[in-house]
Amino acid sequence: MTKMALFPGCLVLQRMPQYEKAAIRVLGELGIQLENMPGAACCGAPLESFSDRWLSLAAYNVSLAERLGLDIVTLCGNCTSTLLRAKAALVDPDLRLEANEPLEKLGLRFEGSATVKHLVEILTENLDELAQKVTGELPWRVAVTHPCQAYRPHEIALFDDPLQPKAMSRIVKATGAEVVHYDAEFDCCGSTLYLANERLGLEAGRRKLASAGRADVLVDACGNCQLLLERFRGLMPDGGGADGIVVLTLPQLLGLAMNIGADELGVGPATARALAKKAA
Amino acid sequence: MSGQNVIELLKSCTQCGLCREVCIVEQLGAHSITSFLCGEEDYSSWLCSSCWRCQEVCPQGVQIHAIMMKKRREEEPPSGHEANLVSVLRSGYALLMDSDINSARIFHGLEPVQLIPPGYVEMLLEEREGGTTGG
Repeated sequence: MTKMALFPGCLVLQRMPQYEKAAIRVLGELGIQLENMPGAACCGAPLESFSDRWLSLAAYNVSLAERLGLDIVTLCGNCTSTLLRAKAALVDPDLRLEANEPLEKLGLRFEGSATVKHLVEILTENLDELAQKVTGELPWRVAVTHPCQAYRPHEIALFDDPLQPKAMSRIVKATGAEVVHYDAEFDCCGSTLYLANERLGLEAGRRKLASAGRADVLVDACGNCQLLLERFRGLMPDGGGADGIVVLTLPQLLGLAMNIGADELGVGPATARALAKKAA
Repeated sequence: MSGQNVIELLKSCTQCGLCREVCIVEQLGAHSITSFLCGEEDYSSWLCSSCWRCQEVCPQGVQIHAIMMKKRREEEPPSGHEANLVSVLRSGYALLMDSDINSARIFHGLEPVQLIPPGYVEMLLEEREGGTTGG
């Protein structure tokens, strides 16, 4: 069993235990045990627009994993990019010295040794094991939406095609499901935009859902995408423009392909019924 | 963030408009930092979906994200961003975290989490004299 530190981020921690639960369960099947990071805080992203002090918070989180001697798995694009960009910035000796000053008072030290990888990257590295765990072909046409910041900026992410990523489609194909491509596939969900302008954020999400409408299921791999495309769908003028498309997180879909029970994956009864109807 | 100012960061921009072409905000009829790069005055540096597509397609390698962060620090923030800031400074999290978090986790069969200990956020984020991390 390989151990890794799970960094859920604020959104998943507060609102999406279902996503975290499915990720832990599915990676467990692949021989990766996710450990909590006691004391982990916000990645630092919300501070960046106001102050360079976001680096201190990011350094703190990375140093917690380093104390555990574990590499980090993230579930959100934004947390991934923030922690990776902080690691890159803290190569600068002056910035590192400054970040380590308060950490040392807490008995911590940022070394930059822990890697930070998004769930999609970890799954990509374990694609063969994943395919072996699949028990039967999923009966749905599946569209994917990509966690933008797990791929961009490319010089930091160093993963997949930064503008037209393929990793998620490959992962879904490993389950035997049909992957449906759609016009807005590589567009952002609009979740962060919602923070600045609710109408525009919801319109971005509505367009995405409408464009993916030919599929039975839309899978995401980011707390932000799940928030806008699934939780906020009811706030969109026409309920997302795609009657009945079921929005799942990637590990929930993978868990179903491994014949893990819906309740063990945080897939609620209403969603499970909608999925069963799609399969009929 | 880059130590360069906005004028220095803009030096290599040729105003080709590729960034604006791929911007989801622009496609929705509003104006983002990419309009500023194209020389327009009608834009908001806060209107952004954080997708980084603009910077990725820039043929000149302009650090658009760094420019946007600099401009944001000069412009009034929308209430959603400000609320997240206040929450992080107060608690270490962008969203409200209390004992309900662990009740929900236990309900879902997840292990309880230990939140950031009291006092840590202040220690991590305090202004330091002569430092570069003070906003």
